[in-house]
Amino acid sequence: MRVYTCSLCGFVYDEAKGSPEDGIAQGTLWNRLPEDWECPLCGAAKHEFDEGGDEIETVRTFSVVSDTLPEAKSALEKSILCSNLARGLEKQYKAEEAALFARLADFFKAQSEPADAPAFAHLLEQVDLDIRENLVLANDAAAEAKDRGAKRALVWAEKVTKIQKSILGRYENEGDSLIEDKEVHVCSICGFIYIGNALPDRCPICKVPNWKFDLIKAG
Amino acid sequence: MNRKYAVRSVRLCTKDCLCLYVCPTGATDTENSVIDISRCIGCGDCADVCPSGAISMVPFVYPEQQPKVEKVVAAMDTLLKSKAQQERIAAALPGRLAKALEMSNRIMAEDIVRESGYMLPQSGNSRAFLQSLLDEPQPHKFPRDAVETLLELLA
Repeated sequence: MRVYTCSLCGFVYDEAKGSPEDGIAQGTLWNRLPEDWECPLCGAAKHEFDEGGDEIETVRTFSVVSDTLPEAKSALEKSILCSNLARGLEKQYKAEEAALFARLADFFKAQSEPADAPAFAHLLEQVDLDIRENLVLANDAAAEAKDRGAKRALVWAEKVTKIQKSILGRYENEGDSLIEDKEVHVCSICGFIYIGNALPDRCPICKVPNWKFDLIKAG
Repeated sequence: MNRKYAVRSVRLCTKDCLCLYVCPTGATDTENSVIDISRCIGCGDCADVCPSGAISMVPFVYPEQQPKVEKVVAAMDTLLKSKAQQERIAAALPGRLAKALEMSNRIMAEDIVRESGYMLPQSGNSRAFLQSLLDEPQPHKFPRDAVETLLELLA
């Protein structure tokens, strides 16, 4: 989303906010404003506006996030972002938009280079790092900011990560006999992995009913 | 007032069909179970009477993304990168357990990215992400049309 500043009076049109006073909904893009739209403060025509504005103000009011990401996202991270947004649109019953984001998610997943020399041992190392450092730092940041949404995601992620650690540790010792003759399910809401033949009614981590679990099939 | 319209979850619908009797415009009576938005006037009567809780009233315009503190975003981003890396490793390993780990990491990563400022597909952040895809150089066969359509539909 962009902002446009009136060169005459300094009024800032922020696409994210729209201009509710004169009936322009939030999120209305500049090029979607009627050609005869006028500055609500001084009546200047659209061509009197310049793109940009008080950048600091803009960042603070609507998009704290987009300019602060430390690095660009990898193809796989873009895929994750897209599949997350596809889920969001499914929840809103917007099937067309969800399908488009799913297409993007598939595209970026296919773009992602396969891991070099993959090994379960590497997964165990990474899971350990998450438990020792990454989750701790994130939990601290969420607590300090009183961000309960982030905290909620981290509570689930921490439990699921610890369960992964336990599974990976057992797999190191037992190998494939760990899952032999057993079903493997993944909770589609929090990522909890269930190995066994007596699926619980509800996910022990996020408490969702078990029909939201996916059975993992061979091949 | 934020205008709303009715949507039906086909999975929850138990076909008691009370919505058909109370809908003043016939919007709920369709051959494919999807409520006809063009007829829905947003009165909410169908949602009120639905015995199975299958109908929800959803807004045309969603509220803005909740603001996120820089430090939280940075920490969540580090975790996202780690989970993405684990998905990548698991995807290259054989067997059901690897598949489960691949999926489990994806689900956690989605939740983490959601809570770092990408909850709403209609938000400024999500739109800025889509726009950045158009602005950056992209590989061959990049579905540019999908991004452009999304930017229009989510405007």
